[in-house]
Formats: sequence, structure tokens, C-alpha cells
Amino acid sequence: MVINIIDDIEKSIRETAKKLLEEKKVDLIIGYTKGSIPLRSGPCFITDASQTGMLVWNQSCDLNLAKYLAKNDDRKIGIISKGCVGRAIVHLIVEKQLNKENITIIGISCEGVLNRAKIMVEIGDKEIIEANIEDNKIIIKGKDFNKTLPLQDYINQLCITCHYKIPPISDIIIGNKKPEKPPKDDFKDLNEIESKSSNDKMEYFKKELNRCIRCYACREACPMCYCSLCFIDQNKPVWFGKTADISDNFIFHMIRAFHVAGRCVSCGACSSVCPMGIDLNFITRKLEKIVKERFDFESGINLEAPPPMGTHKFDDKQEFMIEED
Amino acid sequence: MMQKMISKEKISDLIKELQKEFKVFGPVKEEGVVLFKEITDAKEICLDYSNSKIPAKSVLFPMIDTLFSYKKEGKGVKIIENPPYEKTVIFGIRPCDSMVFSLFKNFFSFGKYKDPLVLNRLKNITIIGMGCLEPRTTCFCTSVNGGPFNKESVDVLITEFKDNYYLESITDKGEALIKKIKSLTDADKGDLAKIEKLQKDIESAIPVIEGLDGIYTKLDGLFDHPMWKMESQGCIGCGSCTYLCPTCHCFDVLDENKQDGSGRRIRIWDTCQFPLFTLETSGHNPRTTKLPRVRQRIFHKFNYYPKNYNIIGCVGCGRCIINCPVSSDIRNIFISVENISSKTEG
Amino acid sequence: MQLESPYIPVLTTIKSIVRENEVNDIKTFEFVFNDEENYKKFDYVAGQFAELSVFGVGECPIGIASSPTEKGSIKFTVKKAGEVTAALHNLEVGDIVGIRGPLGNGWPVEEMKGKNLVIIGGGFAFSTLRSLTIFASHEDNRKNYGDLTVIYGNRESGEVLYRDILEEWEKRDDINVVLTIDREQEGWTRKVGFVAPIVKEVSPSPEKAVAIVCGPPIMIKTTQDVLKELKFSDEQILLSLEMRMKCGIGKCGRCNVGNKFVCLDGPVFSQAELNKLPKEY
Repeated sequence: MVINIIDDIEKSIRETAKKLLEEKKVDLIIGYTKGSIPLRSGPCFITDASQTGMLVWNQSCDLNLAKYLAKNDDRKIGIISKGCVGRAIVHLIVEKQLNKENITIIGISCEGVLNRAKIMVEIGDKEIIEANIEDNKIIIKGKDFNKTLPLQDYINQLCITCHYKIPPISDIIIGNKKPEKPPKDDFKDLNEIESKSSNDKMEYFKKELNRCIRCYACREACPMCYCSLCFIDQNKPVWFGKTADISDNFIFHMIRAFHVAGRCVSCGACSSVCPMGIDLNFITRKLEKIVKERFDFESGINLEAPPPMGTHKFDDKQEFMIEED
Repeated sequence: MMQKMISKEKISDLIKELQKEFKVFGPVKEEGVVLFKEITDAKEICLDYSNSKIPAKSVLFPMIDTLFSYKKEGKGVKIIENPPYEKTVIFGIRPCDSMVFSLFKNFFSFGKYKDPLVLNRLKNITIIGMGCLEPRTTCFCTSVNGGPFNKESVDVLITEFKDNYYLESITDKGEALIKKIKSLTDADKGDLAKIEKLQKDIESAIPVIEGLDGIYTKLDGLFDHPMWKMESQGCIGCGSCTYLCPTCHCFDVLDENKQDGSGRRIRIWDTCQFPLFTLETSGHNPRTTKLPRVRQRIFHKFNYYPKNYNIIGCVGCGRCIINCPVSSDIRNIFISVENISSKTEG
Repeated sequence: MQLESPYIPVLTTIKSIVRENEVNDIKTFEFVFNDEENYKKFDYVAGQFAELSVFGVGECPIGIASSPTEKGSIKFTVKKAGEVTAALHNLEVGDIVGIRGPLGNGWPVEEMKGKNLVIIGGGFAFSTLRSLTIFASHEDNRKNYGDLTVIYGNRESGEVLYRDILEEWEKRDDINVVLTIDREQEGWTRKVGFVAPIVKEVSPSPEKAVAIVCGPPIMIKTTQDVLKELKFSDEQILLSLEMRMKCGIGKCGRCNVGNKFVCLDGPVFSQAELNKLPKEY
């Protein structure tokens, strides 16, 4: 039963964190804690071993905690890392944004997180007062309704295709140490959008991106968005429009996606945090596929593999070069 | 005061009647998101909602708002002012969100300069509020001088009861409006007492946050308190709490050009949560980290607002709680403030 | 009736452009109003600012460099820094610029009557002090003020603004003008040294005096210390704050410090007033 495994993991997380703090192996534990509303979680920062009871682990732990690590932070940090958090840490080390020495990766075997936006569409505008996950079902209670949803249908698409349930490198592993991997990622989930005509694709993009209010939650939640000045914030001179008009929104999301191509660790945090429920993964997933096909590269897997956008090989495909030199 | 009713199924008749004289804005569901938009087809209106994702401030203070337009001709420039604002009805707004209208009236007319865009709109808007039958668990309107059936900032208040909507005129403007509407009938007197009881029951069920009315003076001594480090460490610095807040109204100003030399100067929503908000051209930034930015949001609403306009800059809608990507809950800040100040007093 | 919009600039035309420094990133623009009525309405005091518009680029807040006693036009000294100021620098005489203002409170010229004025400026921030000095030394106003001391420092001689008018002031016996540069330089015959020690050397008496200080943060900080040593009280020190601004009329929210808006309640504050505000400027 999924629920018991998750409970066990949560218990082990608390014990491990407590021990690390007590033995002064770390100064700080970064983990997840319960949000104040159902199906939500938030980050927590624990320095006191007696506080480790607030750590939780469940399918609402959707943030990428690697966002809270910084190169210039000289504290010894233990970080609760599901697969994609571990990937983010690895890739940030590759990009020389983190020093591994100070970081203790507490790897968690993750079975995927919920797609809250999809649940909200299903529930409508009603408030969820209580939600439990039992026997592969999401049991939701509202003021005057009850709803049971099959868990598998509401797991993030990225989690379903994810091959890295545990971090590529861990100092400690909690839960299933050799999780079952899904069959080879064939990017079949992209078939639908790829088979659309250009016009229909555009319509789809517009429909999604039209809702964007430019709060930049996607960017701020993304572990790979660490630029000290984002291209969209350039104002000497202004590079791009900052309004929530569709043309400006389109530019922002497309260029941001391009900028994380070959770097995105498929954590889905950008989609999870979007207050407007925009599925931004539909763009990043396509780029993940292109990078995989062209460069046979997946980000955050290997500390030694140079990132494709940061390297040049003479045999890189360059069919876009029309003229021979 | 005038009390009228209409059966739920006839609501589009009412909207159609309003549309003859007014632009009508109401809650509309688009891609699963409820927001306030101009109603073109009476059927679009979505009244089965708890509260809109984007607050109805967007009618008074749109995300993109034209300050004026211009046309460059040779060396000359011609300035084109906005057309006058049309008579408008906001239909179905929750009483918490409608509080924003009096708040905006205060703020945008404060000081030497009046904001013509917001104030002209306010003058031309009639607000038909809709009482809140199902406050969310994140709601705390009654702790900030509001309530699910608060009449303070509406011209007409609608309460849903059984198969009908009951309309109560609150202001003269509201009375004049509902007098004119033919699809309304006189209210069923027998139901009115029941409705009043229902309203009271719903209102009293909303938990009250102790001490929130006195938070202004408590915050005075807490500007440099270590609590802000705690409260800001999880914040990722996005703008969802402020953009989706019905009372936040900070903006940026920029020019938009077309190829032909014409263009417009617009204002767009901006937020104190972004580092760029206060970054000066010289490179100096008075609020460089998340801590002062998180603190600014709280102080602006709960300290500077009461100091300047004698009102709290929060209506208790709970949107910032629901939408925060990292589940930061403003109510926890209230609790911290209360705990710290009761400790120092004791 | 629709309200008049404070967001709409009035149109002016550039009458003259003066290159102010050797590196040529500071220019003084003189504007005449296209409509004489708008000039009459532009009733300002020294220390106020205005929003200058280059249509299609945007607006930026700039302190007024001219004095209300200089009739017929208004002047702004603009350093090329951001997008709008760069666009302004590309304009020529005869080009149209939009102006909104006057904005902000300005130097308290009424309250300062009967007092000795110690005007202390550093670098490019001298523009509103130019305005104040011209105003206070004007034949109609000079009698209203006591001693007039102007201490103006720059890093080097090539950066000194408003040379002509400084020389005029130096010739007058009712203004004590002290010019200084940070380091010795060939051809420089005035003082050498940072502003703060020069203030100490000049040692103005706090008796019936007001110190008006404008300059880079480090100069302000060191000068404040010297003024305190000289027994100036916090009420006697006036400063003009720099903040990022957009609307200039207290609405857009970015210059909010404590419950004040720098554009509306300032930019001029006494040190005593600033002490009551959070240090977020």
C-alpha cells in the first residue's frame, strides 16, 4: 500500500533529520512541511532537532527545494531530496552554482506528486476542506460534497515518465533504494500536441498563456532560474514587454523555456506553483525531448557530463547553417 | 431600503435589462479560472463560485491601463486623452472584494493629486454585491471590519435563498437602479426574516483572528524584529500574493509604440515583492532581499494604511493564502505579531 | 465631469542644451512651454522635481535646476543613466519633451527666511541647490536670508557643473562660495579635499542656520557627522532623498518609505523627520 510506504518515509525523514542535527553533521535541514490548506505543502527550515516533527513527505511535496540552496551559503545543509531535487543539485554543481561539500543530500524515493491544477479543474471552484490519499485514491471532502479521484490520474505527467525517483547522488537514501523505472521514455505524452497543425498549436499556446498574470512564480520556483538579472527584467534598455498581454506573455514563457533547455530537471515546479494553473511543462517537456534526441543528454544525472548548451562539439548538428563557410 | 427578488433561472433577464443601460461586469469562468469580465452574453455569467481568482479590482484598476495616447507627427506630438468612462455595473462581486472600492476611493484621492482613471470609474460604477453563502476556511473578513454580507461598499446586496435571489438596495444609487428593473418582483416577506438569520449564522461561523484590529500599533515596534527572517525564508519572491490581492495597487508606467509613431502610455500591475520595484538607476536598492520586501507588504497593509487613511489595507479574502506557491499563510504572521507583542506587554 | 489627469504631461520645446562636464554625460536642458498658460501654471519652488517625458520611451523624475526667479523657461540637468535619460541626451534644440510637475515639496524657502543657509552639495546632485542658491541670492529674496554659504565638491575639476554661475557667485560679496575637488589637479586654484573636511574647515555656525545637503550617500553620511560635531541639530539638517519613482504623485507605490511617499511628502526631509522613518531609502 502506497500510504504505508509514504508514512514510513516520513518517519525516517524525521528520524534522519533529527540525528543529523543532533550529531551536528548539519546546521540546517531543508524539507517539506504541511501547508495550511489541504493538498499543499511548503518548505521548512529546521535548525533545532526538536522541531523535526514538522517535516512531512507526501504527494503534495511539489516544490523543488534546491531553489533554497546558494553557493555563498556556508552553513552545512541537509536537504530532503526527491529525484528531481537531486537532479537540480547535480546540475547546479555542474553549472558551478553550488558546492557539494556543504550539502548532505537526503535522497527520498518519490512516486510522483499531484497535479493540483487538474484536481481543481475537476472540483470546480469549491473549497477542499479535507483531503486524504488512501489506497491509490484521493478522497476529497468539501462543505457539501465528497469526491474520490483515482490517484494515478492526478499524478503529474512528468512524474509518470520520470526515470529518476531517487537522486542520482545521495548521501543517505530513504525508501525504496532501487525504485522501478518506467519503460524507456518515448515522449508519447507529446504526441497529441505534436500532431496539431501550427495554427492549432498556436491556439493552444495562446489559450494557456493568455491567463498568465506575470507573477513570475514559475521563474522564482525554478531551480535553474538563478540569473541575477532575468532577460525579462533588463531595463537598460528594455529588451521585452512586461505587460500581461498575450504577445508579451508568449515571449516571456518561450524564451524562459529556451533558457532552461538542456538544464530543466523536469521537476514540474513551474506548473505546480502557477496560481493560474498554466501547464508550463508542455513547453519544457518538448525541449527535453529535443535535447535528448539531438545531444543524448539529460540534465542533472552526471556530475561529469558537460551541459550541451555550454559546450561545442565539432559534430554538433548544424543543419540551420545554410551556407558552408 | 427596497427589497426585491428574482428567481434564479431568470437571472439572465436581469442581466439583459442592465445591459441596456450599463456595461455589465460579472464573474465569468475561463479555462477553469473565475475572473471579472465584461458580460457580452448574459449566459456567460457564473454565479456558482466562491470567489474569483483575479479580484474585481481589475475592473477599476485593469492589469493594463492606458493613461493617455499620443501621436508623433514630425517634431510635434499630439496627446489623446482617454474617452469618458461609461456607466458600469459590477454584478455579483463578493462583499469582501467590494470593500476595495472604498479603499481605492481613499487611496486614489489621497494627497494633492487625484487619480482620474480610478475615480472616474468609481463615479460611474454601481456595485451589485452578492452575499457569500460559503466563506472559505481561509476567509477572515470579519476580522478586518468586513463580513460575508457586509453592506458598506455595495449599492445593492444580493442574497441567494432557495431558488431565488433577494436584492436589497443599500444606497440611493442602488435603489434607483432596482426600481427600474422590470424583471424583479417584490420580495417574499416571509423569507426575509429567514434570510436575515441565515446571514447572521454564516457570518458568526467565520473564525475571528484575535487582535487583528489592533495590529497597527503592535507592528510599530516590530520593524526590526527577527520574526521577519522567519516569515520570509520560504518566500520565493513571486508576485502572486500581491497581484491576486484585491487591495494591492502598485504599478509601473511604460510607453508602448506602434510603427507609425503613435502609441500609448500605460500602467501595469507591479509589486513590492520584485527587487526591480525599488532598484534605482544608480544601482542602489533600498530593499535588496526578500526580508524587507515581505515586511513591506505587511507594513503597507497593516501599518501604513491605517496610519494614512485610517483603514486596514486587507479585506480578509484569503487569496494570498490559497495562491502562495510555498504555502505561506498571512494568518501565521498575525499570530506571530500577537504572540510577540503580548509577551513584551506581559 | 471627468477629472483632469495628473498623468498627462504638457508639451515643451527644447530651447538650449548645455554640455556640463568633460565626459559629456551630463547636460542641462532648457525648456519653453508650448502653451504659455502651462508655464503660468508651473509654479514651483527650488527643490521640486518634474517628470520628463520622451514620448515612446518613457518618463523620468528630474530635479528642477532653474530658479523660479529665472523667468520664461525651466531647466533640468540630466545625467545619462537609464533609458529615458539616454533618449533625452539624443534630443536636439527644437525637439518636444513632455513635462509633468512641479512635483514634491521642495526646499522650505518660506520657513528658512531669516536663517543663515549652509548649502552643501557634491557632484551631480547640485542641480536643485543651484536653483536654491539663485533663488536665495536674487535681489528680491537676498534680504530674507542671513549668511549664504555654498560648499560644492567634485571628484575632479572636469565634473564641476554650472561654471559660469559659480564664477558669478564667487565675485559677489554676499555669498561665500567654497569649491573643492578630491585631489590636486593642474590649474585648480580652489580648495582640495572631500566635502566633509572642507565643511569642518569652513565651520559654519549652527546659530540660526540651516544646512542643506545633497550628494552621494557617502558624502551625506560624512557631512552629517561633521555637522553634528558643529552642533547642528537634526531639525537643522535638510536632505533631498533619491528614490526610484514612476508616477511622481504618490500612487504607484515604489517610493513608499514608512507611511510616506518620497515623491509626495518629499523629496526634502529634515534629518529629524528621517529618523522617524525606516531606513529603506
